[in-house]
Amino acid sequence: MKAFKVALMACVAGAGMARAEDVTLQLKWVTQAQFAGYYVALDQGFYDEEGLTVTIKPGGPDIAPEQVIAGGGADVIVDWMAAALAARERGLPLVNIAQPFKSGGLQLTCLKDTGIGSPEDFPGHTLGVWFYGNEYPFYAWMAKLGVPTEGGSDGVTVLKQAFNVDPLLQRQADCISVMTYNEYGQVLDAGITPEELVTFNYLQEGVGMMEDGLYVLEDRLSDPAFKETMVKFVRASMKGWKWAEANPDEAAAVIVDYDETGAQTLEHQQYMMSEVAKLTAGSNGALDPADYEETVATLLSAVSPENPAITKEPEGMAWTHDITDAALN
Amino acid sequence: MSVFGLALLFWLAAWAVNAALARSRWRDASGVRVVVPVLFGAAILGLWEGAVRGFGVSPVILPAPSSVAARFAGETGLLWEDFLQTVLKGALSGYAIGCGAAFLVAVLIDRSRFLTRGLLPVGNFVAALPIVGIAPILVSWFGFDWQSKAAVVVVMVFFPVLVNTVQGLAEASAMQKDLMRTYAASYLQTLLKLRLPAAMPFVFNGLKIATTLALIGAIVAEYFGSPTRGMGFRISTGVGRLDIELVWAEIAVAALTGSAVFGLVSLVERWVTFWHPSQRS
Repeated sequence: MKAFKVALMACVAGAGMARAEDVTLQLKWVTQAQFAGYYVALDQGFYDEEGLTVTIKPGGPDIAPEQVIAGGGADVIVDWMAAALAARERGLPLVNIAQPFKSGGLQLTCLKDTGIGSPEDFPGHTLGVWFYGNEYPFYAWMAKLGVPTEGGSDGVTVLKQAFNVDPLLQRQADCISVMTYNEYGQVLDAGITPEELVTFNYLQEGVGMMEDGLYVLEDRLSDPAFKETMVKFVRASMKGWKWAEANPDEAAAVIVDYDETGAQTLEHQQYMMSEVAKLTAGSNGALDPADYEETVATLLSAVSPENPAITKEPEGMAWTHDITDAALN
Repeated sequence: MSVFGLALLFWLAAWAVNAALARSRWRDASGVRVVVPVLFGAAILGLWEGAVRGFGVSPVILPAPSSVAARFAGETGLLWEDFLQTVLKGALSGYAIGCGAAFLVAVLIDRSRFLTRGLLPVGNFVAALPIVGIAPILVSWFGFDWQSKAAVVVVMVFFPVLVNTVQGLAEASAMQKDLMRTYAASYLQTLLKLRLPAAMPFVFNGLKIATTLALIGAIVAEYFGSPTRGMGFRISTGVGRLDIELVWAEIAVAALTGSAVFGLVSLVERWVTFWHPSQRS
C-alpha cells in the first residue's frame, strides 16, 4: 500500500499542475515532525476528503523554497516570515495565507562554563549561527544589544554553523543555534544536562520572528479556482495539525513512515512532535496581524549590510486572511 | 519579446562575422585570434541578457548579466575579502602543501618497488572519496577557519599529484638509465639530470588537475561550516537570501581564478618541458 502511494505521488509529480485540484507543497526542511500536520492530513485522508491530490516535497540544506515556487516547482511553500519578506523585497511577491506556528522554536544555547549568563556576556565569545535565511533574527538581536558581529573583544565572532550540534560539543563555539524541537534534544542526547546550559529564546528576547507559515505567489491568488483550492488545502492541513497535536505518538509514526531517507527514528520524532505541538498550540491557522507587525518591526530595527532582509516596510499584500477566513468558518 | 529578437539577431550577426573571419586569409593574424573568442563570448552574454529581459525571467531564477556585472562592480571589496579567504588562504596553501608533500613522497617511495606498485590502487581509492564526506570531518578536526579548507584541499590534490609523479619517474627508459650508469652517475645525479626532467610532463598533468580540484575543494568545504566570509560561504548563503546576483558574481570570480591559475601552470609547463613533443608546434 505504501509503495503504491509513493508511486502515485511520483505520478502526480510527473503530471505537474495539470488538474486544478493538484497541490504541490514544498517544505522548508527534510521530512520530520516539524511538518507533521501536512503528513497527517495526507495519511489520514484529510486532503482526499477535500478532493485534493497533494504532493509533499521535502526540502534540505540546498533547497530554497522561495526559489522552488518562483520556478513553478510548487504551488505553496512552508517558509519563515523573515525569508518570505526578504523574497518579496527582491521581487518575488510571496503572500502568507496561513500561520500554523503561533510561536517560534529558535534558540541560542550556550554552555554555562564559558561564563555566559546573560546576553551582556556575549562580547568576546564565538556564536554559531545558521544562515540560508535563518540568520535574520540573530543579526536583529545583536543590533538590539549593540554588539558588533565582526569579532574583537567587544564584539562576537560568528561561525556559519552546519545543521548539527558538533561545534558546541567540541567547544569550537560557545553558543550555537538550536530549535527547541530538534537540535536542543540532540545536545541533551549527547550527555549535556539542561543545568549546564543557558538558553535564550528569540521570542522572549523580543526579537522573535514568525516561523513556519504557508506562502503562495501573489498573482495566483487573483484566480478564484486557485483560491478555492488553497482554502481546502489550509482547512485540511489545519485539521492535520490539530490531529497531530492530539495524537503526537501516532503523528511521529506517520512521519517515520513517510521519511524516504530512513534517517528519522521514532524516538526522536516523538520528542520533536511533543515540542512542535507547543508551538502550534496557540494557532487556529490564521495569522495574527500583531505578530506580522512585530516581525516587520524587528527586521526594520536592525537593517545593516550583514542583515539585508528588508530595508523598508513590505509593499503590497504580504499576508491575507481571505484563505483562513473561508477555511475556518 | 522584441528584446529577445534583437539579441537573437546580434547572436546571428556575431556568428556570421566569426565564420567569415575564420574563413578569411587573416585567420592566423593575432588580432583575429583574439577577436573570434571575444565575439563568441559577447554573443552568448547578449543572448542571455536578451532572453532574461525578453521573457521577463525572475531575477530569483536567473539574473541578467548586466545586473550581475553591476553587482560585481559594486561589491569588489566584499569579493576581494572572499577571494583572500578562499583562494589565497584556503586553496593556495592547501595546494602548495598537498602538491609539495605528494612530490616528495613520490620521490621517496620510488626507491621501493613494493610501495610503488601497491600505491596506485590506494591512490585511486582515496581520490574517489567524496568531498562532501571528508569535508565535515576535517572541519570538526581543524576548526571553522581556512585551515580546515586547506586540509580538504591537501587531501584532494595529494593523490593525483602523487600518482602522476610516480608514473613520471618510471618514464626514463632502461637505455637512458644505462647510459647514466656508464657515466658513473650517482642516484642523485640520475634523479636530477634524467628522471625528474623526464617525469615533468606527468608532474604537470597532476598539477593542472590539482588546480581545479583545489578551487572546488576550498569552495565546497565552506558549505560545512565557515566564518562569515569566503566564496563558498557567500554562494551558499546567497542562495538562501535570494541574492542570486551576488552568487553569480562569486561564480565569475571562481571561473576567472580557475582559468588564470590553470593558464599560469600551463605557462610554467611550457617553460619547463620545452623539449617535449607536445610543446613543440
